[in-house]
Amino acid sequence: MRGFWPVYKRELFSMFVTPLAWIIIVVFLVIQGMHFSLLLGHFARQPEVVADHGPVQAFFGGTIFLYLPLLILCPGLTMRAFAEERRSGTIEALLTAPISTTGLVLAKWLAAVTTYVAMWAPTALYMAVIRKTGELDWNVVATGYLGILGVGCSYLALGVLMSAMTRSQLIALVLGMLVTVGLFVMGIGEMVLDDGWARDFCSYVSVWSQMDDFSKGIVDSRRLAFDLTMTTVPLFATVRVVDSWRWGLWNFSTSMRC
Amino acid sequence: MIEVSRLTKAYGAFYAVNDVSFQVGKGEVVGFLGPNGAGKSTTLRILAGFLGMTSGQVRIGGHDIVEASFEARQQLGYMPEAAPLYTEMRVREYLQFRAELKGVAGRDRRARVEQAMAEARVDDVAETLILNLSKGYRQRVGLADALVARPPILILDEPTAGLDPNQIREVRDLIKGLGERHTILLSTHILPEVEATCGRAVVIARGRIAGEGTLEELRSKRRSSRARLALRPARGEHEAVEALLRGVDGVKSCKGEAHEGLWRGEITWDKKVDDPELALEELVRRLVEQGHGVREATPSKASLDEVFAQLTTEPQREGEPAEGGAP
Ligand SMILES: Nc1ncnc2c1ncn2[C@@H]1O[C@H](COP(=O)(O)OP(=O)(O)O)[C@@H](O)[C@H]1O
Ligand SMILES: [Mg+2]
Repeated sequence: MRGFWPVYKRELFSMFVTPLAWIIIVVFLVIQGMHFSLLLGHFARQPEVVADHGPVQAFFGGTIFLYLPLLILCPGLTMRAFAEERRSGTIEALLTAPISTTGLVLAKWLAAVTTYVAMWAPTALYMAVIRKTGELDWNVVATGYLGILGVGCSYLALGVLMSAMTRSQLIALVLGMLVTVGLFVMGIGEMVLDDGWARDFCSYVSVWSQMDDFSKGIVDSRRLAFDLTMTTVPLFATVRVVDSWRWGLWNFSTSMRC
Repeated sequence: MIEVSRLTKAYGAFYAVNDVSFQVGKGEVVGFLGPNGAGKSTTLRILAGFLGMTSGQVRIGGHDIVEASFEARQQLGYMPEAAPLYTEMRVREYLQFRAELKGVAGRDRRARVEQAMAEARVDDVAETLILNLSKGYRQRVGLADALVARPPILILDEPTAGLDPNQIREVRDLIKGLGERHTILLSTHILPEVEATCGRAVVIARGRIAGEGTLEELRSKRRSSRARLALRPARGEHEAVEALLRGVDGVKSCKGEAHEGLWRGEITWDKKVDDPELALEELVRRLVEQGHGVREATPSKASLDEVFAQLTTEPQREGEPAEGGAP
């Protein structure tokens, strides 16, 4: 894990000193602000709020406005992780320092997760607004944010992996979006498919039904296990990819000659 | 401190580095000299642990770079070609980051960074964004980075490339100073660089070692391919002298002219002559036996430039496996 701290700190520094993190956060907050005020307007017009179907539930995954920004902004947070280092050549100084690849990959990922958390933090204000006007189930708020964190961890891990596949941040962004959108579309299969293993599978990978559970205060360990898998597997793969640059294993024609 | 043995790096069927072996001893400053595309950067990148090798073995400070990559990298301050840096950072920030990354303890870090900045003479731009630095300064920030953890070994890839003459002189002086406390391997494609800073050179051309040794040794290797003579022919018979010279085994060509009873000229030895100096000795003996007076017989020294040109353009010697001849 050597090298984790300095890389983590530098990564955050670079994210916030170049305006990338700020742009993403502002875009996100504008969208979520509109999302929230739409929801408020909607529920204000409803005479009676049904239990389990209040503005908080709706906010945590009741509408597409939660997912669309995540599908695009998460790959945006990670697109630079490795692609930019390789484009500019700084990767050479980084990998020749006595640091561990695991530490390096974890640091880059966790810096993205930290920014992601910072991006969500202001939405706690919305909860405060709801609390002023009515009942607020803190349990639901907590599980809602837990679900959001789980989704973020996995999307960002996938994004870091995609960033290690190319030297271009733009391509990393597109690849990352393809993966997250792909997963999201697979999840929609739950709504269109007939009963059967395919539907079960789609339901399992569906971010939509994950957030549906969490926004009702339900913590399903299968959902957490899924997020954990979708986080650790891409991170592990990234470590392998980075090590393969160093040892040239990626170059099959040379490794076969040994 | 650096031991490279039979290092090979292949890109497909192309050998960027081919069976390269050399060593750098403790305290030495060695120039890794070769024309562009010779394989210098590839070799240094492998030594620094950035690139994998196809075959061979490398030890840095006694640590195998594959088996003990971590320890090997700890011995090393590496400056990549063109010194890529994080342009959004300030110089001091960057060096502090690098020091921490290389495991410099927190309480020493500040002092080490200040010292490295002073040594590399970038302390006057400590608070400048790297984005706004000139090429010369960036190069020296790269040098400060290599120094900051005080590694015993420095590997510098073309440390003066792209600098103006003043900057080149500064960086060379800097390297000379560093040579007193570090073992240094630096690559360059220009000869004066080696003359100015290095005690020894390893010459690489087309992925292969073309020559190795101190500058004097390199020079003397080619020193006697020619010899200068001034003779006083017996009985004034210039033709006899020239005929004799031409007849000697190993003399490829001979040209000269007579002037006031003296014959001055130059002979060129054939490639197959193993020791031209010995051959010259033998030649002088024969001239004297024939009654000719020998005023001067000097093995002429090739300039380093000539040596370099010869080493790097000479076709492969026979008996060596052809390029790309993999099993
Ligand atoms: N990734 C690569 N793929 C294929 N060939 C390469 C690669 N990197 C370098 N080369 C080739 O290897 C040779 C040596 O390159 P390099 O070590 O950079 O030379 P130098 O530093 O001596 O100028 C060059 O001919 C270059 O084109
Ligand atoms: Mg080079």
